[in-house]
Amino acid sequence: MAIVPRAGEVIGRQGSKHQMQFIRSNTFHWAAALAALFAAFVTILFGIIYFKIDDYLIARSDRMITTQVNFFAALPPDRRISALEDHLGQDSRGVQFAGIFDAKGNRLAGNVARLPDDLGAGAPVKSVRMARADDKQADAPLVRAVARSLDHGHVLMIGRNVDETRELSRVVGGALALGLLPAFCFWLLAGAWLSVRAQRRVEEVNMRVRRIIAGDLRERLPHRNIDEPFSRLAAIVNGMLDELETTINALAGVGNDIAHDLRTPLTRARLTLERGRTNATSLEQFQEAADKAIAGIDQSLSIVTALLRLAEIENSRRSSAFGDVALGDMLREVCDMYEPIAEDKQIALSVGMSGPLHVRGDRDLLLEAVANLVDNAIKFTPRSGSVKLELSRGERETILRVTDTGPGISDQEHEAVLRRFYRSDKIRNTPGIGLGLNLVSAIVKLHGFRLIIHSGPGGRVEIICPDEPVGRA
Amino acid sequence: MTKVLLIEDDEETAGEIAAELADRGFDVEWSSNGLDGLAKARDLRPDAMIVDRLLPGMDGLTVIESLRKDQVRTPVLVLSALGAVDDRVRGLRMGGDDYLTKPFALVELIARIEALLRRPPETRETTLRVGQLELDLIERTVKRGERNIDLLPREFRLLEYMMRRSDQLLTRAMLLEEVWNYKFVPATNLVDVHMGRVRHKVDGPDDAPMIHNVRGAGFILRAVS
Repeated sequence: MAIVPRAGEVIGRQGSKHQMQFIRSNTFHWAAALAALFAAFVTILFGIIYFKIDDYLIARSDRMITTQVNFFAALPPDRRISALEDHLGQDSRGVQFAGIFDAKGNRLAGNVARLPDDLGAGAPVKSVRMARADDKQADAPLVRAVARSLDHGHVLMIGRNVDETRELSRVVGGALALGLLPAFCFWLLAGAWLSVRAQRRVEEVNMRVRRIIAGDLRERLPHRNIDEPFSRLAAIVNGMLDELETTINALAGVGNDIAHDLRTPLTRARLTLERGRTNATSLEQFQEAADKAIAGIDQSLSIVTALLRLAEIENSRRSSAFGDVALGDMLREVCDMYEPIAEDKQIALSVGMSGPLHVRGDRDLLLEAVANLVDNAIKFTPRSGSVKLELSRGERETILRVTDTGPGISDQEHEAVLRRFYRSDKIRNTPGIGLGLNLVSAIVKLHGFRLIIHSGPGGRVEIICPDEPVGRA
Repeated sequence: MTKVLLIEDDEETAGEIAAELADRGFDVEWSSNGLDGLAKARDLRPDAMIVDRLLPGMDGLTVIESLRKDQVRTPVLVLSALGAVDDRVRGLRMGGDDYLTKPFALVELIARIEALLRRPPETRETTLRVGQLELDLIERTVKRGERNIDLLPREFRLLEYMMRRSDQLLTRAMLLEEVWNYKFVPATNLVDVHMGRVRHKVDGPDDAPMIHNVRGAGFILRAVS
């Protein structure tokens, strides 16, 4: 025998994996991807800022040394050396480089031991490595420098250490690390939190849905009163559950009512048979009992038949049997059928129409609907009244109206008559109308038409047949 | 003797039907499944058949379809627990001649079987006669002996149908279907009211009655003997 784990066990096992599940969850993947994207974006941004500032600083120092070299070159030779010494003397940060060299390259003034070989006089500012004369460090820093030829073959060189940019990159890098790392961590944490939260809600919904499946129809999905997709979805599902619960309760009620309606005649039949069996002394008496019993059974059967017929029409989704129905002819036919009965009750039955009107539909069903309406109208109209069948055109619709001089449908009843499953009460209290109107309503709905029941006094029921029916199956 | 083949899987129902048919003087053959029923229908050549819609072995409609393919024209009454209109239409399209929904009254079943067995022949005659009653299809007039009977068109239609099927029990459901083409049973007992009108005109106060009401079943038109 195969061992099938029960539902509870499966849930339990899933629970132990729960902690790691969020990493695999979609939410978390999205959060991680977004975090990575964000990090990349910020890094690029910082890089751009760094390079821009670097460019700016170099351009500025280039301008500065160009100005300086021009300034010193313009000075008379005797003042030049002292001005240069002054200039270097004011440089407290030690970023300035300067020197005057003779034609052989020997230093005449300044703080640079020798003129770098790759620095051509008159060339634009460029980066070269040079060391100060007093600096004992092995590696010479990279310096932006420019050289200018003076008279007597002398060369003037002005340079400026741009190590500031290195400092800048350190600052920028530090800022990046300080800002980005916590942000990235925060992002991952937020992703994990969101994912766990979503997981938990799904888990909760799952649990509640299981309860609903198990038959607890009063269970609802959790939702908050905020405009958030998950809550909205839960609210929609809850609305659906409300509707289902009402329908199922109503169905259960109908079931009870049907059971009651069936039981009454069946009980009568049973009692009659039982009494007939014990007490009947002649064939006539026994036949009488049997006839009464058959009548009771026939009544039960007619209820079942009517309900099945209603269900059949309500569930019918086919319009393949639809054809062109001449409403005028149909009304006359119904009128013809009911005239003798109306006459017996001294009710004036009449048909009025403006011209030949056609609709698309199932002739037999429409005939049944109209016959039902007329049947009701005649049944509820007192003697010497009138029942009118009218056919007219509205705006892009054909109106079939049945009016009578009976009591009509009261306001309270009006609500109830259109309510679903109201027939249950109606079968009991006023035989005919409840089921009849429900049948009419089902037929009308099947055609995509509308049934309008006006409140009394005086019965007035309309079937509105739009030229382009909506919701037709 | 008229031979009727009954194909019905429920033994008790079949027993009751067979007993009733036998009482009415029919020779009844019973088969409880589709395949056996089909074989019997081919061998015994019955005059009429009663076939249940849902059968073990072979579906009732398939049985009828196979027979019709073999050019067997035996009239068939289809029985079904499915009352759906569509189902009825299908049953008739597949070759059934009439359709009866379960549960049914035995008189209804017998009336329909007799109606199937005594289908009026296609005649060219323009006058129908039952006893003293005479109906002219061209002139649209009705006479009983020398007395002219004035009928409304709907009454004429009803009487015409009854005269074509005189001496047969006509149930309310049959009349609704055949005369008024109603596919449903209305709440009010319409047939009785119409029949009352016709009877009132046909059977005058001094005449012996020709239209008889069979209690709990329907109506019969019979010549005065």
